[in-house]
Amino acid sequence: MSDIVFEIKDLKKHYEINMGLFTKPKIIKALDGVSFNVKKGEILSIVGESGCGKSTTAKIMLKIEEATEGNILFEGTDITTLAGDELKEYRKKVQIIFQDPYSSLNPRWKVGQIIGEPLKLNTDMSDKEIKERVLYLMEKVGMLPEWYERYPHQFSGGQRQRIGIARALALNPEVIVCDEPVSALDVSIQAQVLNLLLDLQEEFNLTYIFISHDLSVVEHISDRIVVMYFGEVVEYDDVDTIFEHPKHDYTKKLIDAIPVISY
Amino acid sequence: MNLLDVKNLKTYFYSDAGVNKAVDDVSFSIPQGKTVCIVGESGSGKSITSLSIMGLIDAPGKIESGEIIFNGVDFLKLSEKEMRSVRGRDVSMIFQEPMTSLNPSYTVGYQIDEALRLHQKHLSKKERFEKVVESLDLVGIPDPREKYREFPFKLSGGQRQRVMIAIAMACEPKLLIADEPTTALDVTIQAQVLELMNKLQKEKGTSLLFITHDLGVVSKVADEVIVMYKGHIVEKASAKELFTDPRHPYTQALLHSIPTPGVTKRKAKLATVDDSVDYLSFPKEIR
Repeated sequence: MSDIVFEIKDLKKHYEINMGLFTKPKIIKALDGVSFNVKKGEILSIVGESGCGKSTTAKIMLKIEEATEGNILFEGTDITTLAGDELKEYRKKVQIIFQDPYSSLNPRWKVGQIIGEPLKLNTDMSDKEIKERVLYLMEKVGMLPEWYERYPHQFSGGQRQRIGIARALALNPEVIVCDEPVSALDVSIQAQVLNLLLDLQEEFNLTYIFISHDLSVVEHISDRIVVMYFGEVVEYDDVDTIFEHPKHDYTKKLIDAIPVISY
Repeated sequence: MNLLDVKNLKTYFYSDAGVNKAVDDVSFSIPQGKTVCIVGESGSGKSITSLSIMGLIDAPGKIESGEIIFNGVDFLKLSEKEMRSVRGRDVSMIFQEPMTSLNPSYTVGYQIDEALRLHQKHLSKKERFEKVVESLDLVGIPDPREKYREFPFKLSGGQRQRVMIAIAMACEPKLLIADEPTTALDVTIQAQVLELMNKLQKEKGTSLLFITHDLGVVSKVADEVIVMYKGHIVEKASAKELFTDPRHPYTQALLHSIPTPGVTKRKAKLATVDDSVDYLSFPKEIR
């Protein structure tokens, strides 16, 4: 029991769309009964195409969105009902790295401020302590200390993603949700960021929930995979089983569609 | 027989900070009916090369020197007016973003029809309508007659990219330039679009210049591959040679940086392109 961090049970998210005054609202079922577990220290990937509900699941896990139905247990506590100080504590433990390194960093803030922000809001560390911690984090993600005073626009996409990773690490989280962290990057830069994520996981004992549509990346880093399709989990197993013996037709289709270099 | 010969193309961008040699002495050919892929990272000059061919370089950019010979005609010697009659008729281009490259306020049919209105003036309105419907059908859009009157927002990303292909193919160009046409699409949709482009190429004998950073896609479509790095071609080879025997260190680094199911060891360190190495100092591998 103790090795399960997240237990997601029958999660549903329905959006109502008003079609007009006299028509019944249409219901879009973004998530329709999603269940899976996340084990401590693993990399669990959620794969699927646009609109399959993978990001909605992540948003509900991060309490950015509310679920219509269902429960999420984090270390035994139901987070769907958390509020106030408890919610704040929870948010420290679960962090996110966003897809787009261009729009997820405030262009008017310096790198030091961006990475230090969660510390300023959530801890009573002094400015000096914060700066020390930020410099330590920058070193961990492979950034030079003199970049502390620079602005995001002075960096390439890969470097910016490092800033986002350092920010996510600031509060020593247990779980990091990575929402398509490498899909906006060139392949060579993608490799650097993936290497970094794997290193950090080992060093800080992290659990990753990795959201991606790129199955070659997923195959490389995951321990287990959740395949989603139209708001439902169609397959959920360890990576070898999914890639070697996919059961569901959609999974097979997805694996066949990976453009693999073959000669 | 080469449809297009690019010789010693140099496209530079001028700013207060100095000259950026985006494309610096690039030469290659596209044979009739073949697919040539340009691969490279952001900033390697692959898109600028294609825009140079289309004559779409604006200030502060300038084509410094070189020749772009298409069917015996040097594009760089044509006037803007002559170039306009070439674009869309002889050479067409598909862009990366199907979401933003269609005009939201015109119907899909009207936008495909535009190329025909401009380049095939002898056709009547009715003939053009039939041609547009035919081209929508060709790219696999269901109910083409209904879809003629739809606006782009009603279509999915994959369908919009199909419409873009229909626009580009409307006048049956001899050369189609596709700049990252599937990057914004889901993998299964990507596979469909690639298949469609292959099919069209076979049916119409179109030559294809395919620009991408996805080497998996390259191996699916390319006859020949050009690897660009910082404005230069570092390696040029047939697709088979490039993937089985990559010779330039940059190509090797690029190939090894992709996780390949069944080949790369799971969670093992991926090779990366080393920023401290000057890959241009190695001899170019042109086969």
